[in-house]
Amino acid sequence: MPKNILEVTDLYKSFDQLEVLKGVSMKVKAGEVVVIIGPSGSGKSTLLRSINYLEEPTSGSIYFKGELINPKRNLHKVRQEVGMVFQNFNLFPHLKVIRNITLAPSLTRSMDMNVTEERALELLKQVGLSDKAQSYPEELSGGQRQRVAIARALAMDPQVLLFDEPTSALDPEMIGDVLEVMKNLALQGMTMIVVTHEMGFAREVGDRLLFIDEGIIVEEGSPAEVFSNPREKRTRDFLSKVL
Amino acid sequence: MDFRWDLIISSLPMLLTGAKLTVQLTAVSVFFGIILGTLTGMLRISKTPFRFIAAIYIDVIRGTPLLVQTFIIFYGLPSLIQRPIPAYFAAVLALSINSGAYVGEIVRAGIQSLDKGQWEAAASLGMSGYQTMKHIILPQAFRRILPPLGNEFIALLKDSSLVSVIALEELVRKGQVIIGRTFRPFEIWFAVAVIFFVMTFIVSRFVDLLERRVTRHA
Repeated sequence: MPKNILEVTDLYKSFDQLEVLKGVSMKVKAGEVVVIIGPSGSGKSTLLRSINYLEEPTSGSIYFKGELINPKRNLHKVRQEVGMVFQNFNLFPHLKVIRNITLAPSLTRSMDMNVTEERALELLKQVGLSDKAQSYPEELSGGQRQRVAIARALAMDPQVLLFDEPTSALDPEMIGDVLEVMKNLALQGMTMIVVTHEMGFAREVGDRLLFIDEGIIVEEGSPAEVFSNPREKRTRDFLSKVL
Repeated sequence: MDFRWDLIISSLPMLLTGAKLTVQLTAVSVFFGIILGTLTGMLRISKTPFRFIAAIYIDVIRGTPLLVQTFIIFYGLPSLIQRPIPAYFAAVLALSINSGAYVGEIVRAGIQSLDKGQWEAAASLGMSGYQTMKHIILPQAFRRILPPLGNEFIALLKDSSLVSVIALEELVRKGQVIIGRTFRPFEIWFAVAVIFFVMTFIVSRFVDLLERRVTRHA
């Protein structure tokens, strides 16, 4: 396995006239938890969504396991190995929880349905929702939905998980359960890139912190370093507002 | 002037034969209309050049009368292909093509009403466009478009009376035939209207029922 499981080089992204990413480069090692913070509109979500090409970069390259991602050639395969968790969960409302989890693996792999279902039940147990397999998403709370969404992403056995503000749409009392699941994943060695406003999580779980503002990485380092001793003025300004 | 109930009673078997053909024509046309419409709706929002063809199809069909479309297929097309087209076939063709355009717009709107996140979630799991359509988008879209689809069914049930002009003996044509024999237009058209109403009423109740059953988790 190459040293960097993911590598982003010189990424630019514009929406019409608006340039959101202005040359971002980053490397992620296997097993690393990278937390991305920054003000709203800074481009952090766009960066995350560019990694699996939900937003097609205007220019720049992304390498997954050393291989250049090409939408025409290997994107489906890359997406099967790079999971994503969304701010608004995006569960499939017409399918039961168990089917939400088994659908993608059953379509993309020639595996026995029993095996896929067993694995799904295992994952539900892991996120603390064993009793919700036969429920529909609308019958769950926000926190439960997000944990199902995490289980759904995990069912593909991804090598990298992308989290796009996973707790921003949740009621405060639901956030803890979701962060707990994420923390356990990190402890199990999952490679994670997390865009979040949860500074406590960033400090506790993150191996590396990226601060993004106006489309560039302003500062990066270990969370302890960046939080206690930010070098850049923009980082200090931001941290003084959120901490 | 008295109202001749006895005439309605005696005409009923013939009118019901016509109504049977009306239902049959509509059912077959709705079936093909939904297939054609689903395809059209999907193409309309696709990024292929076919989307222009779909748009033109919808515009042309919605912008011309069904009556004229029926004439073109029944009278015009045979002279072009140098062979007659049976009335039943022409009627089904005209109604299906007509319905397909309207259903196409309904399907397009249904697909576009879904949250973009549904596409993104499916894509992020590595599902193909086809798989996403089949398992995620269309099942949800169809739950949502059931009410307008029901309306389209009812509209088509009524519009199918237009094919009486090509001598297809559906309900309206049967009514005309009976009137030609009895000279009692009021009773017969009254009976025809009642039969149409009963049919559309049954369809709309059925759609309501179906709607309540399938829209629970959408």
